[in-house]
Amino acid sequence: MKRLPRRLVLGLAIGLISACANPAPPPATGNGAPARGGTVVVGGLGDVLSWNPYLAEDQTTVEILSLVYPSLAVEQVDYQDHPPSFAPSLATGWEPSADGLELTFSLDPRARWSDGVPVTAEDVAFTFRTQRDPDVAWLGSDAKDAILEVAVVDAHTVRFRFDRAYPYQLMDANEGPIIPAHAWGGIPYPQWRDVDWGERVVSAGPFRKASHRPQQELVLERSDGYWRDGRPYLDRVIWRPMPSRAPLLAQLLTGDIDLVNGLDPADAERVAADPRLRVVGFPDRGYSQIRWNLRRPHLADRRVRRALTMAIDRQAIIDVVYLGRARPSVGPVISAMWAFNRSLQPVAFDPAGARRLLAEAGWIDSDGDGTLDRDGVELAFELLTNSENDLRQDICLLVEQNLARVGVAARPRFVEWGTMLALETGGDFDAIVSGWIEPTLIDLGPLWHSAPPGEPTLNSVGYANPEVDRLLEAAAEAATFAEQKPLFDRIQELIVDDQPYTFLAETERLVGINARVRGAVINDASPYFNLDEWYVAHEADVR
Amino acid sequence: MTRIAIRRLVTLVPLVWLVVTVTFLVVQLAPGSYADTLDHPRLTPEARQNLRASYGLDRPLGEQYLRWLAAAATGNLGSSYLFKEPVIRVIGRALPPTLLLAGTALLLDLLLGVLLAVAAARRPYGWVDRLTTVLGLGIYGLPSFWIAGLLILVFALGLGWLPASHMHSVGAGELSAPGRLIDLLRHLVLPALSLGLVGAAATARLLRATLLEARASRFVLAATARGLSPRRILWVHSLRPALLPVITAFGLALPMVFSGSVVVESVFSWPGMGMALWRAAEARDIPLVMGLTLVGAAAVIVGSLIADLLYAVADPRAREER
Repeated sequence: MKRLPRRLVLGLAIGLISACANPAPPPATGNGAPARGGTVVVGGLGDVLSWNPYLAEDQTTVEILSLVYPSLAVEQVDYQDHPPSFAPSLATGWEPSADGLELTFSLDPRARWSDGVPVTAEDVAFTFRTQRDPDVAWLGSDAKDAILEVAVVDAHTVRFRFDRAYPYQLMDANEGPIIPAHAWGGIPYPQWRDVDWGERVVSAGPFRKASHRPQQELVLERSDGYWRDGRPYLDRVIWRPMPSRAPLLAQLLTGDIDLVNGLDPADAERVAADPRLRVVGFPDRGYSQIRWNLRRPHLADRRVRRALTMAIDRQAIIDVVYLGRARPSVGPVISAMWAFNRSLQPVAFDPAGARRLLAEAGWIDSDGDGTLDRDGVELAFELLTNSENDLRQDICLLVEQNLARVGVAARPRFVEWGTMLALETGGDFDAIVSGWIEPTLIDLGPLWHSAPPGEPTLNSVGYANPEVDRLLEAAAEAATFAEQKPLFDRIQELIVDDQPYTFLAETERLVGINARVRGAVINDASPYFNLDEWYVAHEADVR
Repeated sequence: MTRIAIRRLVTLVPLVWLVVTVTFLVVQLAPGSYADTLDHPRLTPEARQNLRASYGLDRPLGEQYLRWLAAAATGNLGSSYLFKEPVIRVIGRALPPTLLLAGTALLLDLLLGVLLAVAAARRPYGWVDRLTTVLGLGIYGLPSFWIAGLLILVFALGLGWLPASHMHSVGAGELSAPGRLIDLLRHLVLPALSLGLVGAAATARLLRATLLEARASRFVLAATARGLSPRRILWVHSLRPALLPVITAFGLALPMVFSGSVVVESVFSWPGMGMALWRAAEARDIPLVMGLTLVGAAAVIVGSLIADLLYAVADPRAREER
């Protein structure tokens, strides 16, 4: 079997602050021109844990460092009808070669590091060497698997050479921020894990590090040398890491912090009720689901899984748990994504039909105790989720009720995140309520390709359909998006037919923001998508 | 007394070893490793496995333990997986805030406890006594995280008088030195109360009882017969002997303060050892958990030794060799 490119944006199952979907309208529009100056305070659960982006192992660090170190291009959120496009950033443009094996970037000659040294092609080449170095062991290095070489053409031109023509070349080339060769190149890679990178930050973004007290406060200040005219508008952006959600909400309401990315639906109602605050909601690329362990004998039967899905009132979950801020999830591709098979229909809620289907599969209540059984075994299982996530716990309770009505005994069990992950990875579960956030690079292989036993995989449910395997391999080999699309469509049909998951809901990300913050475009690419264009209204503009 | 101190210091090493060994085993009992708790957006299963290997988490348990122990014996506590810096540096940063918080809490414990006990013991079964008894028992029965939540609800969210988290306000670095101090003290009030109130209630209960006992003793009768004022008898003659069990209780309270600070610091985002331990445990950051436990255990043991020595100072009988 050809190895599939294994990459997937992991579901932030704790419901941590994370990136999100779809361009959202600016939460606040300014009266008049953006003004310079001011400070915006952002509250979150995480903190920067390393100032070297290639040693970062968590979402918050990746997000914040993307503001400090430059990228070649910026991925846009226009993936509804086609794969996402890219806007120039450090690179002013790029050109593919005729054979489709090379991509040549022109760098902005005005770009400077915070110490005044120009950003050059050598920095891009150094970044690539870093990304592939085994001592650095960057977690995202598989994005560079197909890149054979990054060659410096001249100071402001750099050429990427790929091992084949494939549709995601630009996305892969752009993955990971550019780091300073002149400042970091002299440090041998084997020593990288012992360096205090906080002392060695040389940045080239709109903001630079001013101060950082771990777990207390991180201050970024405007970088005077930033090459985009007049940007950024803000003087400072301050991060306040919080221990839990409660103080985040409280301090948003008191005005101590200006922005909270990732509110619970119930909290969002309280925020929306405050005239000084706004809630920006947009579909993120996340969906929640019940993962059925197909290795369990009673869950191995496709009819049983379909019946379980039919018995679960997914609209009630959307209404009660997500307070309407979610949409039905149909299959393994998000409905907002170009690759979604728009002819798919969600499995209908039909408890009576579910009972019939279960009876067909041999599950009847022979002993009259209210729970279905077959050959003396009851149709009962444990429904696992992580205790940090209130929404998922509510889902478990609703599902327990729904299934009890058709004679299926689901026992909710709430464990801490690390424990749940260990149980899932070890295959030691019946069913898990969890979530994924889909990457904009559509790659269904990691979740749905059958994996030999013992090999690390995200296919924790043990799904194995030879036709899906074959189609996935063909999609990975396809040279264009147009070739991929029909393959993706068929794969989605087969997976929805098999119901290895019960697809529950496509979620929305809710951002609470103070109305004094203007010009913010917040979307699933990043909560800080256009941070250099944010500005603060003068006090007089705000009540 | 010196021999007592030496004897106790000699037992320190095996005790701390026992505590960290048990901690190591307990941390290992929790499913999953550091590599399993990460939420990096590009973390594939292979990368997770590589990460496990790069931190040595795929090695046998005994080997991991012996490696840690051998390094720790030479003073090397390793690097924190989570914070990507030497454990000793994380501890160095977290220790001062914890000492400040725990010190303030213990001070509150003692001051409030003595004041309440004296007020109650002046008129046993009077209304002050009854009130402090009811309140004291009520508070003593509450967990510190609950008190913390209540204090936040009333004084931070309700009245808006005090901040509910962190050690400084946003932009406190720009304040003058006195301004920064006031800012720090304002942030200190609620966590110190959360941690100190339970102790104060316990101290008040204990001290009230020993004060009443002292009042019934012959030397108080003798002092009364000599015509000393009730105030002098209470504050001078009764309090010193009555404080002896309180000193012992203080030594025993140290572990409570240390463990309480784990919760209180996490609730208030106070950047001390407790919050670091919480984060480290969540992230399965074994070197950091071990380092913090090592320092914490040593601090508790030394603290109770100091309490014992103070006891010997306060009570000459304890200085004698038995």
